[in-house]
Amino acid sequence: MSADSMTAQAGPVTPAPEYTGARKKRRHNSLTLGIVGWVVGILFFFPVLWMVITSFKTEAQAYTNTPRVIFSPTLSEYKTVFSSGLWPYVANSAFATIVSTILVLVLAAPCAFALSLRPVKKTRDVLFFFISTKMLPVVAAIIPIYIAARDLHLLDNIFTLVILYTAMNLPIAVWMMRSFFLEVPGELLEAAEMDGAPLRRTVVEVILPVVAPGVAATALICCIFSWNEFFFAVNLTATRAATVPVFLVGFISSEGLYFAQLAAAATVATLPVILIGWVAQRQLVRGLSFGAIK
Amino acid sequence: MAEVSYEQATCIYPGAERPAVSALDLAIRDGEFVVMVGPSGCGKTTALRMLAGLEEIDEGSIRIDGKDMVGVPSRERDIAMVFQNYALYPSKTVGENMGFALKMQGVAKGERAGRVREAAKLLDLQDFLDRKPRNLSGGQRQRVAMGRAIVREPKVFCMDEPLSNLDAQLRVQTRTQIAELQRRLAVTTVYVTHDQVEAMTMGDRVAVMRLGQLQQFASPTELYDKPDNVFVASFIGSPAMNRFDGTLENGGIRAGGALLRPSDQQLHAAQGHGKLVVGIRPEHLSVGGGGELTLKVALVEDLGSDSFIYGSLADDPDSNIIVRSGRDHPRPGEVIKVGVDTAQLHLFDAGTGRRIGG
Amino acid sequence: MTAIAPPVAGVHHVGARADRRRQGWVRRAPLLPALVFTIIITQLPFLVTLYYSLLSWSLVRPGSRHFVGFGNYVDVFEDSQFRTTALNTVIMTVGTVLIAMVIGVLLALVLDQKFLGRGVVRTLLITPFLVMPVAAALLWKTMMLDPTFGIVDFVLRPFGIGHFDWLSSFPLGSVMIEMIWQWTPFMMLLVLAGLQSQPKDILEAARCDGAKPFAIFRELTLPHLRRYIELGVVLGAIYVINEFDAVYMMTQGGPGISSANLPFYIYQRAFLGFQVGQAAAMGVVVVVATIIIATFALRLIFTSFSGTEQAA
Repeated sequence: MSADSMTAQAGPVTPAPEYTGARKKRRHNSLTLGIVGWVVGILFFFPVLWMVITSFKTEAQAYTNTPRVIFSPTLSEYKTVFSSGLWPYVANSAFATIVSTILVLVLAAPCAFALSLRPVKKTRDVLFFFISTKMLPVVAAIIPIYIAARDLHLLDNIFTLVILYTAMNLPIAVWMMRSFFLEVPGELLEAAEMDGAPLRRTVVEVILPVVAPGVAATALICCIFSWNEFFFAVNLTATRAATVPVFLVGFISSEGLYFAQLAAAATVATLPVILIGWVAQRQLVRGLSFGAIK
Repeated sequence: MAEVSYEQATCIYPGAERPAVSALDLAIRDGEFVVMVGPSGCGKTTALRMLAGLEEIDEGSIRIDGKDMVGVPSRERDIAMVFQNYALYPSKTVGENMGFALKMQGVAKGERAGRVREAAKLLDLQDFLDRKPRNLSGGQRQRVAMGRAIVREPKVFCMDEPLSNLDAQLRVQTRTQIAELQRRLAVTTVYVTHDQVEAMTMGDRVAVMRLGQLQQFASPTELYDKPDNVFVASFIGSPAMNRFDGTLENGGIRAGGALLRPSDQQLHAAQGHGKLVVGIRPEHLSVGGGGELTLKVALVEDLGSDSFIYGSLADDPDSNIIVRSGRDHPRPGEVIKVGVDTAQLHLFDAGTGRRIGG
Repeated sequence: MTAIAPPVAGVHHVGARADRRRQGWVRRAPLLPALVFTIIITQLPFLVTLYYSLLSWSLVRPGSRHFVGFGNYVDVFEDSQFRTTALNTVIMTVGTVLIAMVIGVLLALVLDQKFLGRGVVRTLLITPFLVMPVAAALLWKTMMLDPTFGIVDFVLRPFGIGHFDWLSSFPLGSVMIEMIWQWTPFMMLLVLAGLQSQPKDILEAARCDGAKPFAIFRELTLPHLRRYIELGVVLGAIYVINEFDAVYMMTQGGPGISSANLPFYIYQRAFLGFQVGQAAAMGVVVVVATIIIATFALRLIFTSFSGTEQAA
């Protein structure tokens, strides 16, 4: 007659027999695959690696019959690049990239919302229309755009680029954000509605946290495309609004095709996007796979 | 048709503290229907997948027809597996799903179609042969999964909780169909479930598992009547067996506030064991009877044919006792006397949990 | 009681219809800013381009513009250079997209398996996509493909193919190599998404059913990947058809026009030749052709994708 007359638990656990650790070799096939993976990875990365290595050479070291891997690195070419008035170009690129991306998000989010959560008739047609705008070779539209910009005194104006980059990235942003919005479970919205939340609050407090990573991914893609854009920049800007890609090309033309210098300039031009892409890799992968890889 | 044996089979995931399956020994006869049952995490699914070749056998071995399967890939084991979520090939029709294994074996198209048609007839799937899985209901998909296994006439059927995604009524119906099918085809079957009712009704023998270790491997009747340890005793049978702490006293066992007299053999075997666990099933307690226990009724479940009385001992309000009764039953709040059928007592050592006596 | 019903129902009816229409506008409203913006910025220039294509207009001779109807279009279709660059564009697009996709599938298969340092390898593999196209083009033109100092030359010298001017001898091929390098990561990621979305138990079922690894890939994985591959091909094609930076930086379309694609050719006409009318006509032709081809392709993908959405 004890106080705990009922043993609640299902009985004591017998200790497991000693595990002798004679493990069979697991996953032995990953070694060959690993080697293949690393070889391919290095092969694909090699041009970029070589570019960075060359940027630390002098021209004499760069122009050798046999590529030199051992050398004493120098920053002389970088000095040349930075002393060529690089910073205004960087400022322009940053401005155009950031402002156009914000604009894209502001326009694309409600649009993607309407196309996913609250289905509108002719969703397919609207989506197709957006993608069709990318099929227009910008080369064809550049003439009217150039002439319009000239007449409106918008040539060599950073806002011209902002507007064009927004239009350029909007279709992809709408497609991407729609796929992320589609991932919001319907029950979440129903629960919010039952809790009496008005639409705006539902969006902010329920939907946004779920799609935030997707929004970040879309923003990242837009930044990459805007920063790297060359055609509009070279044709519609001159001195005041020119961006980094224009700087790079201009740098080459004025200085000629010198490898080390070119490598340094190219590294400076491409590094921001590469670094951001690496750091936010998960977001980038989400965006490029339209939300399928998390 | 084949004999299957697990010989000290062990599987440990990299980085895990304890093996998922620990030194499992099972000798399964040709044509037998064996059920592996236990709570989640007990290793039953891992043990099944080791047989199918989907998990590594880290130590020990598994033999099919005497041949050691260590290092043998799934495709060479001649095992058909039915998955919990059916794993039907989405890009193929029902007919192509069922004929896939035969196609991999190189069976000619004509013969393939014939065998698929036969199996489809067995499972009432003839009208669906050209449909894709996404156009089927849950129950139909389940039958296709079974059909895919049957067509192959393999050595062993492995089934991983095939009924758990079906609604209750369909589950009962399909349960009997599977049991009947297995009896007809006489293929050795290893079946995993967490539902002990399925285990008890379908299996020739049942392997109860817990935390990677085998607790008992016996027929359903033996598991019910002579559970090897406290875990099996409380896992098998619904509602669960009543368990009391008990101490050996002169001439009997003191448990639940009464002195109970088990059989002489049990009493004799209990000598030397300090603390005991005494078990008695709800149907072996009766209202009135010898009146050894005093019970305060908390709740009564009236199931129509029987009723189950839930209550606590008068002097131990934390205890939980279940008594089976008939249509005439006491009300909640009443204090009743409960009789114990001492011929049906189960004794276990409180320290090891093992069964004492016969 | 029944006498009251009709007038009440009538009032209710009108109110409901107006309500639904207002609901429709509420639903459409969020769409409008993006839609209107896009229409203005993209469709207006296109309409103007259409208009220009009907003019003969050279920017160097102001006042020379006059209406010629479809004259420019006739010139375009009779222009052998246009046909050559159109062919180049087709070769470039089909070649780049196809090869990038094949390599992308292989790389995705590798990345789908666990191995030591998989994350790092993935980082390395996506880098080409991040590199600025003009920088990538310059990089390949100089440091990789230069006949004397390029890496490719260094690597192939022991095999007897040294001091080979790739850009002059294989201009189209050289540009394509650079573009394949840049676009493979994109294809790889899409296919990887497809591979990782395949339920694992289906592959296990195939293993139990006696399928060898290659049979599993052919019978199950490839059909599953189809929609991802289609998406990659269409999106990639849309971008590659319009590729300008690589041609401009690597070969300037040369030698001659052997590596010129349509965007570059149109650019030459417009900005170097100042032939606005002709360039506009070419642009319109390219747009129409692209839309026709893409319409079929995209409808195909939509059915493929939305079919599975319904199933899910």
